[in-house]
Amino acid sequence: MNNKQESKPMVVKETKNKIKADFERTSLKERMKAKYLNSFFYKKLAVAIFRFVLLLGISYIILFPFFSKISASFMSPQDFIQSDVKMIPKFPTLNTYKYLIIENQYFKAMLNSFILSGICAVIQMFVAAFVGYGFAKFKFKGRNIVFLFVMLTMIVPHQILASSFVQKFIYFDIFGIFEATGLYSALGLTQGIYNTYVPLILLSLTGLAFKNGLFIFLMRSYYRGVPDELEESSFIDGYGVFKTFFKIILPISGPMLITIFILAFAWQWTDIFYVNTFLPSSENLLLTSNQFWSVMPDTLEVLSTGAGANVQTFEVAVKNTAGLLVVLPLIILYIFCQRYLVQGIESSGLAN
Amino acid sequence: MTKDTKMNNSTLASSPAKKKKRRGASLIERRDRLGWVFILPFLIGLVFLYASVIWESFTYSFAKYNTIPAIRGGGYSLTFVGFDNFASQLMKTVDSEGKTFLELIFTSFATQIVDIIIIIMFSLFIAVLLNQKMIGRTAFRAIFFIPVVVGAGIIAKIDSTASEILDAMSSLEGIDMGTANGGEGASGLVSAMDVNMLLGSLGLPSTFTDIIITLVQNIYEIVNRAGVQMLIFLSGLQSISPAIYESCSIDGATAWETFWKITFPMLSPMILVNAFYTIIDSFTAESNEVMLAIIEISPNGVPSGEQSAAAWTYFGLVIVSLLLVAFLFRNFVFYNRRND
Repeated sequence: MNNKQESKPMVVKETKNKIKADFERTSLKERMKAKYLNSFFYKKLAVAIFRFVLLLGISYIILFPFFSKISASFMSPQDFIQSDVKMIPKFPTLNTYKYLIIENQYFKAMLNSFILSGICAVIQMFVAAFVGYGFAKFKFKGRNIVFLFVMLTMIVPHQILASSFVQKFIYFDIFGIFEATGLYSALGLTQGIYNTYVPLILLSLTGLAFKNGLFIFLMRSYYRGVPDELEESSFIDGYGVFKTFFKIILPISGPMLITIFILAFAWQWTDIFYVNTFLPSSENLLLTSNQFWSVMPDTLEVLSTGAGANVQTFEVAVKNTAGLLVVLPLIILYIFCQRYLVQGIESSGLAN
Repeated sequence: MTKDTKMNNSTLASSPAKKKKRRGASLIERRDRLGWVFILPFLIGLVFLYASVIWESFTYSFAKYNTIPAIRGGGYSLTFVGFDNFASQLMKTVDSEGKTFLELIFTSFATQIVDIIIIIMFSLFIAVLLNQKMIGRTAFRAIFFIPVVVGAGIIAKIDSTASEILDAMSSLEGIDMGTANGGEGASGLVSAMDVNMLLGSLGLPSTFTDIIITLVQNIYEIVNRAGVQMLIFLSGLQSISPAIYESCSIDGATAWETFWKITFPMLSPMILVNAFYTIIDSFTAESNEVMLAIIEISPNGVPSGEQSAAAWTYFGLVIVSLLLVAFLFRNFVFYNRRND
């Protein structure tokens, strides 16, 4: 008997039915006790609560400025004299929104911003993918040196180079072709491509726009993670390098491209430097043009002086409201797209 | 059969040097050369647009820039002055406390380094938290990446000029007294006094207390600046195979050990990337005090030799610090299954 047990250890077969029978035999109280009254569960609970409170607190820090901006945007000039008004305005008004939208041509600016950001984001996305693929998958000589230049374009902020860039765009020409053909005068441009969308598109095309170095870097890391076998197999199937890129590599990098697109779109949308340096004229009114967000509508100025409020303080409040109006479309878009932002970067599995 | 293979082997072994000469590049080499075509867009921009702009700015730093009035034809002239711009600008007092520009650079480096370390630690910590399964993870993720999407550009600009509105709404003597007391308003969110009292009663050294207080006061800024880093860390965390964690837990490792022995080494390339990004981002941000000083030299955007000199000195130091970080990290970074 003993021998037998040694040679053949008893195996309790836990069939589904047996587990179920066991489960039903123990009372609910016992089951709950076993599940919740142990140190493992306490520890887990404590960690979960700590984590939740921490994240909640930081979320509050992130969202609080928006709440205060929103509440300030409904305040009338009178509220800024009352010292007891904190978050909730005593004389709520929609005038700030109304006059900003009407007198500063909100919808025109929004449409322009939408077009410009859309074009730039699409271009930047494809250029980053193209250049990033070149850096990731081809081992030509000198690629590390060129990549250092990509880093350099990130290090030197364009604010320092603004005047040189403007000069460059005012006298922009490709081997004198534009001058010879009279293209500018035909288009009615007196300052070259300055004051048009072309400089920003040109910067996007050459991967020099705002933080494009980061995009190239992200795409390069992404493509480094793509196995070489994929390209080899398509090569064997008779595809050339470019056909492989457009037919196989681009489609599989969809999520990452979406992430790049979201970042490029949002950063172009909220960009304030390039817009006011290259497009200062009021024809190309954009949401971040100084004419939109930092000019106080006349009616509001009259209203605030009439109410005896400190005009300067009210102007700050109006700017705040303008800022809210600028990011409002972006936030609405973000609510729909946010899962793609994280998904794309998650699926990338950047490993280097 | 055997003879054939032998012959093949011998020809293969003896020929590569000769072959290369005769046939030029191999198939793979020829394919690799196509890489130039892929990076062509960037190269064109670099050569025709960026290089000349950078060169211009660089030459300004050794010259005196004079605008020629429109009556005499307009344009500008440059007179070469050697290192005068550097000498005069670097020793110039730029601060109310009488600091020279060079001193300002180094004091700002010191504060920035603390900031950068804190930002990287914070973003790593939050990324690890956001990577765990829990209630409301999607919502938290959405909230945490709001600053990435809307935080830069215009909102930052408005916030930097308009913190008085926050102060006005939270402090009693607000607008009617005309005082927006800096640092103690709602932009601080937590009262520095309370933290000071708390830490003081614990008997901690004052330098440590100071760091904690600046950290607490700047928490909003830190959260805002850590967005992209969080995104990069999150992607790095996703790339770690769950099988590693599984085998670890079977071997009886605690969460703490798992973090330091698995997560941290596997994330080390990401830490390097984020260190680079954070250094570039915080040293060249418009809110940086050195950048403000540089822009202030010529606020109207008229090129000036002194501005270029100051800027290039600063960027030179930034590049040196980047190289230093790359050098220091070289031995700590662990690359998984990389063969290039």
